[in-house]
Amino acid sequence: MRRGLVLGLCAAALCQFLAACASTPPSPDALAANDPFEKTNRKVMAFNRQVDKYFVIPTVGLYFLTVPPAGRRGVHNFLGHLSLPIIFVNDVLQGETEKAGHALGRIVINSTFGLGGFFDPAVTLGMPPHREDMGQTLAVHGVKEGPYLVLPFFGPSNPRDALGLATDWAIDPTNLIPMKQHVWWAAGRAYFTILDLRSQNYQTLLDIQRTSIDYYSSLRSFYRQYRQEQIRNGRKPDPAELPDF
Amino acid sequence: MSLPALSLPLAMPLMRRAVLAFAMLLATPMLATLPASAATPAETFVSDNIQKGLEILRDKKLSAAQRSDQFKTLLLRLVDTRRIALYTLGQYRNTASPADIDAFAAAFQNYASAAYQTYFSKYTNQTLKVTGSTQRNPTDFVVHTQLIDPGSSQQPAVVDFRVRTDGGKPVLVDVAYEGVWLSLAQRDQFVNFLGQNNGNVRTLIAHLSDMAVSLGKPTN
Repeated sequence: MRRGLVLGLCAAALCQFLAACASTPPSPDALAANDPFEKTNRKVMAFNRQVDKYFVIPTVGLYFLTVPPAGRRGVHNFLGHLSLPIIFVNDVLQGETEKAGHALGRIVINSTFGLGGFFDPAVTLGMPPHREDMGQTLAVHGVKEGPYLVLPFFGPSNPRDALGLATDWAIDPTNLIPMKQHVWWAAGRAYFTILDLRSQNYQTLLDIQRTSIDYYSSLRSFYRQYRQEQIRNGRKPDPAELPDF
Repeated sequence: MSLPALSLPLAMPLMRRAVLAFAMLLATPMLATLPASAATPAETFVSDNIQKGLEILRDKKLSAAQRSDQFKTLLLRLVDTRRIALYTLGQYRNTASPADIDAFAAAFQNYASAAYQTYFSKYTNQTLKVTGSTQRNPTDFVVHTQLIDPGSSQQPAVVDFRVRTDGGKPVLVDVAYEGVWLSLAQRDQFVNFLGQNNGNVRTLIAHLSDMAVSLGKPTN
């Protein structure tokens, strides 16, 4: 029932977003930048920044004040540990056998010796953490990114990554476990994920903001380039792809 | 990502940790001073000069103004800011007057110096290690490096430097942190800004000049 309500709200928000997109004619520059929904994206980004300013940043400040660095590292490790099944599935789907082995090894070692994932002994055994998601998997199999999107609450994205995000959420085993308090579990996990993510990139985003004449365009460029780097899985890009100066 | 202080005891006996710590202590100065073996001129150029830049930024004997001046002097010697400036104008380079282009290149130089200092000041305690290079054409190289934080077990950050040698001496034209090229990001925002301001380069010059001043002020 509650899950249906959440999905319904998401669908309503998506419909409103698409309706706003449809009523906004794109500028030639926006089309050239593969960003036909730029006007709507900027509005969504402004909304996200208000949420960030009035809700996320104050709670991140409180998090820093009340939780010592070791505790924050433990939370970070645990959240990463919860994502390992998804990472493993995406490693397999991308044919990244060595990384899939690492993900599996990390699940076994950190679940046991790492006390449920709060500690990370697997890294000392040559299994460093890595990220994979369904957006990357789709890209590896040739799905194009599509136009740039800024999603409410989630930030920079595109149709491929948004679909990947929804798929990862749908196949996440922790979401499949029947639990009486499942909504609270999901909300708690999302809350701490935001705290962890924002506390990790607080200074980086501040620097990008300070050095940008247009924060929106900067984030769009950084997001696209960084996603390409993730999709390459550490492989060096073809130098021919670099622009001529 | 990882938790070395708490996870090490689970995996290593005390003696092994002591030996490892001693070996790391011996190896750290070597990593900090020696470029990779059989380094190309582009690799040596990056290895020597970026380390100098990091040393200026971490030198506590310098005042903020001295540090900024020394960093800017080094940057102007190493980086071809005019070439980057022209690239970041995108298609508006073709319609701007020569005088506006010169004024933009000068404003960009001040802005880039302040912006680079902001970015690099976060990595003053880290060590740069050149891991190799890729030749794009006879005068165009991408030098691959890692920024190693001796106090962290996190994987080193991957930083690439693009070096051109067609002017007779090596110069830097771009830097990428974890695959994100700075000039490309700057070009995207400048072109977007110009698109919203009827292609008026003078508005961009004024904006960049203001930003250079604002970036030069100490943050809270």
